Amino acid sequence: MNNKMSLRYVAFFLLLAIFIILPFANDSRTLLILLTQIFIFGILAMSYDILLGYTGIVSFGHAMFFGVGAYTTAVMLKQMDNTLLIFVLSIVIGMLLAGFISFLVGLLTLRLKSHFFAMLTLAFSGLFLVLAEKWRTVTYGNDGFTFRAPDIFRDRMTFYFFVLASLVIIFLALYRFVNSPTGRILIAVRENEQRTKSLGYNTLHYKVIASIVAGIVASFAGSLYAVSLRFVNTSVMAMDITLDALLMTIIGGVGTLVGPLLGAAVIEYAQHALSGLARDYPIFERWIIFFGILYILAVIFFPKGIIGTLRLLFWKWRGKLKQRKSQVALPQEKERFE
Amino acid sequence: MTTLLTLNEVHTHIGQYHILQGVNFEAKEGQVTVLLGRNGAGKTTTLKTIMGLTPATKGEIAFRSHSIKKNPTYKVAKLGIGYVPENQGIFADLTVEENMKVAMRKEDSETLERQQYVLDLFPDLKKFWKKAGGHLSGGQKQMLSMARAFINDSQLILIDEPSKGLAPIVVEKVMEAIVEMKKKTSIVLVEQNFMMASRIGDTYTLIDDGRTVHAGDMQDLIHDEELKRKYLGIG
Amino acid sequence: MELLVNLIINGLATGMLIFLLAAGLTLIFGLMDVLNFAHGGLFVWGAYAGIFTYMFTESFIVGIIGAIVTGALLGLITEKFIITPVYGNHVQQILITLGLMLVLQELIKVFFGPNGVAVKTPSYLAGSWEIGDVIIIKYRLFIIVIGFVIFGIFQYMLKRTKIGLIVRAGVQDKEMAQALGIHIKRVFLYVFMVGAALAALSGMLMAPYSGVIYAEMGMEYAILGFIVVVIGGMGSFSGSLLAAILVGLAGSFMAYYVPVLSLAVNMILMAIVLIFRPQGLFAMRKERTS
Repeated sequence: MNNKMSLRYVAFFLLLAIFIILPFANDSRTLLILLTQIFIFGILAMSYDILLGYTGIVSFGHAMFFGVGAYTTAVMLKQMDNTLLIFVLSIVIGMLLAGFISFLVGLLTLRLKSHFFAMLTLAFSGLFLVLAEKWRTVTYGNDGFTFRAPDIFRDRMTFYFFVLASLVIIFLALYRFVNSPTGRILIAVRENEQRTKSLGYNTLHYKVIASIVAGIVASFAGSLYAVSLRFVNTSVMAMDITLDALLMTIIGGVGTLVGPLLGAAVIEYAQHALSGLARDYPIFERWIIFFGILYILAVIFFPKGIIGTLRLLFWKWRGKLKQRKSQVALPQEKERFE
Repeated sequence: MTTLLTLNEVHTHIGQYHILQGVNFEAKEGQVTVLLGRNGAGKTTTLKTIMGLTPATKGEIAFRSHSIKKNPTYKVAKLGIGYVPENQGIFADLTVEENMKVAMRKEDSETLERQQYVLDLFPDLKKFWKKAGGHLSGGQKQMLSMARAFINDSQLILIDEPSKGLAPIVVEKVMEAIVEMKKKTSIVLVEQNFMMASRIGDTYTLIDDGRTVHAGDMQDLIHDEELKRKYLGIG
Repeated sequence: MELLVNLIINGLATGMLIFLLAAGLTLIFGLMDVLNFAHGGLFVWGAYAGIFTYMFTESFIVGIIGAIVTGALLGLITEKFIITPVYGNHVQQILITLGLMLVLQELIKVFFGPNGVAVKTPSYLAGSWEIGDVIIIKYRLFIIVIGFVIFGIFQYMLKRTKIGLIVRAGVQDKEMAQALGIHIKRVFLYVFMVGAALAALSGMLMAPYSGVIYAEMGMEYAILGFIVVVIGGMGSFSGSLLAAILVGLAGSFMAYYVPVLSLAVNMILMAIVLIFRPQGLFAMRKERTS
């Protein structure tokens, strides 16, 4: 176990070092922007993992929290002033708003079975999308609006480091969260909600907590996203955002936190590459199809994702080693029953 | 007497739980075979495993010496095994008539004859012919469920705890019906009520912790106080 | 008076289209315990396949048949390759059907182009009747009639035929239905195909009504379909008709009087139903003795 822990630390600091040095070693603007994008969506995907991976609930409304953050930051920076203080304030307000909304929505919907919940979140986020479209005096509808980022973020590099630092902090915070007693109960809810309930836990309470945490983090990602584009329109509330988060989480590996980060890297890079290809081959303009197909195949054949599958292989390999040593049978993979 | 059904070292997993860990028994033609055992011993799961509702993971199940272990439930039923589950499995929204009709695989004269026979056996069903299944009493549901299992020339009927939750006088009726049905078909019965089981059973199989621990003639068990005390907590 | 009649006819027509969409959803859910998030994809494919057949053959009837056949075939493929592998796992079902929705929607853009397509009502259904000072648009009445006819046919099938009996039994207790010798998986497949065909028909009929078809319409109407299924009670066929009419009327009146609230009103309806009567307003009795 100790070996494994130290291995993790080494990997963590190594990766961190790479990402700190990278912008200095390679001054490609495209790479910097791509990495920034990956980090932002990594944060979003991690927040989604709290729901899907750790609590076992499928939300189709995650974009609404992302959108709340994006709009709060964009509107405040535009209407008030583009200072760092306002930016920080807007993040906080966005998170508070998102937390409050997810609390209300969660309380209303999390009692329901998975189908209903998924459906309701879909409808709620639809409602928010409509709201963003209709409230034109503030959002400028589908056209959206540009705004000025705080001066300090004019330099892409500064913003890159800000996002990287945010990512690290949020990763560590979420890591602590899922390993906290509350996090353990969330996993228990995922494995068997009925049993967790009969052990005396108010599962609704814990599911609402998960939903609030996920909502707040998603809102933060939204704020960063808006600043990275210096532009916002209704697309931040769109289903595509939720789907991206979903896809990243699944491809990377649900319930692993690291997985969604990796998933974000894979998907963002693929989008980047495919949209490049689209210039030569028009079929790639419809790259969403490839994601859709990839996603369906992943759900059927690869439900554990990259990290989950690697982990499984690792445990099997270790199990074999152990077996050879002590002839102890490998614990069987637990089936997930609903 | 030919053997209708044989279970040989049957294991069943439900999710991560290993419920049946070696069940053996035989059901012979024209007999009532009773499965006995404590609550949670695996009697209901044994019936479900025969029906393919919780498929066996190991071992062999043969009906008329054909393996049915891998058969899906509907095929098991079509081979001629009727099933009366613990909760009777009545379709609540369907009338008594519709409950019978949905079970009928053919509507030939033979089937209609058998329908007449079960209606004579359970006159209540005739009386409530157009009533929704959900509005029947527990005893009537039990009768309907048995009638439904019988309607398709079933050679073997699996009945799970027919006396559960019924008033003694209704239990008596159900038991009489089983004795009557035994003339036309063979029966595997799960029953907690030992008095009832011993009255209508020909042979017994004792299941404990998912394993067959004893089997034999009912008459022998009735006199074996020690066995009864050990596995049934009576005697 | 004229306004009232028009709003009611509007609401009923919309309601009927949503009903056709929701009927499949509710049957599939009731029987298979699958909430098909790709249902809107079948709807939009019905619209495109039907309308392109209609434009090609210049026969609206052939177009309708084209839509139904397309829907049934897509239903077959969906059930076999998308639903079956994840049967019994709700989370995976939700995820995978949504993925399919995405693929179906994007494929529309690949095959038929990314832009909307304008649709004309066939001449014999175009125009309107004037009764006194009330103007009734023919096509809307046509939709209402079709809706009621289909409801009648299905209601008859469900109540009076052996197939309907089997479906109803399966909705209530799948295990028992199988234990009575019913090949429930095959029933699933047929019901899924029929549900998909209904969704496709709904899309096809919607096309001349809204005048334009576009890839995203699937998701938009699917949400209405979900709302109807929730309000009507999952698995309840007649419940979905009543709920669809309710949603259609609420939408039509709101669109006229308080346009901003026209989508919100259905959401609010659904929220209220879920809070106070989560099994739906017209839910079936479902016995759970064990």
